[in-house]
Amino acid sequence: MVILRRRGQVLTVPAGKTLERILREAGVLPDTVLVVRDGKIVPLHYQPRDGEEFELIEVISGG
Amino acid sequence: MARVEKEVGQTIREFRMVQRAEKILVAVSGGKDSLGLWAILTKLGYQAEGLYIDLGIAGYSARSREFCEAFAREQGLRLHVLKLEEELGAGLDEIARSLRGEPCAHCGAIKRYLMNRAAVAGGYGALATGHNLDDEAATLLGNTLRWDLEYLARQYPVLPAGPKLARKVKPLIYISEREMVAYCLITGIRYIYEECPHSIGARSLRLKGLLNRLEDEAPSTKITFLKSFLRVHRLLPALKAAELRDCPACGMPTAAEGPCRFCRIKERLAHRAPA
Repeated sequence: MVILRRRGQVLTVPAGKTLERILREAGVLPDTVLVVRDGKIVPLHYQPRDGEEFELIEVISGG
Repeated sequence: MARVEKEVGQTIREFRMVQRAEKILVAVSGGKDSLGLWAILTKLGYQAEGLYIDLGIAGYSARSREFCEAFAREQGLRLHVLKLEEELGAGLDEIARSLRGEPCAHCGAIKRYLMNRAAVAGGYGALATGHNLDDEAATLLGNTLRWDLEYLARQYPVLPAGPKLARKVKPLIYISEREMVAYCLITGIRYIYEECPHSIGARSLRLKGLLNRLEDEAPSTKITFLKSFLRVHRLLPALKAAELRDCPACGMPTAAEGPCRFCRIKERLAHRAPA
């Protein structure tokens, strides 16, 4: 399984898909977040392996 | 991240935002855009100082101020701080409770006033804000949906200086929010990640959401929307130099008949019912 953390929430999804596909299936527009691992940006075409963890950084701000 | 810096440099030149010898006052909130802008301007060789307005928002302002102070300290840059409590006798939380209308609208008017006053008093060549591509495209969509010609005419990356009016510039208009987050991550700029509690449900966020869905289906929608608008901007009726007069209370320019909006807010707060 792949673990995604977003603003304190944890999302667990099966491996075997690209990050873009994982995000879309979770209802997240890929361009509205940055996927980060160990402080580094991970490209959306990356296909995570079982056990990998990522943080989703929100991009939209403002009032 | 050289691309972002290069793009900002080109934008500054394209719109003749600022001359090399001029000092810039950057309005900083502690967020990714304003701190990123301050870093980029400094890296491009401009003499840029920061202005932070402490809005007195519980659980938010103290943290956002810390990010600005830490950035200024680490970079060896000068940061000016204004406190709303000292200017108006109340912070934004109190304003939101006491006055009718959207807190974001009051906040915007207050910040514009204080930023302009500080830039004029300090003799800065320009006041720079961190409005990015997503901000500008959302504002443009909002203005277009209402066909608000006055606002559309005023929506431009540089607004000229006038008597007691600082030149206002937006060097990040072609840089997306995503690029600014990436820029801060890569260059190690720490910024406040939480949203202002008063902005929850704000109209601008809904417009950004709509544009993001459009962008997902048709990439480059936002940049095309904004650039096309800027090309036809000159066709808009020249903004009638709104008849500005001096506010009888503070002396700063205003289009209002009586006191300026800032002074009217101050007046209403002075007469609010005791808590």
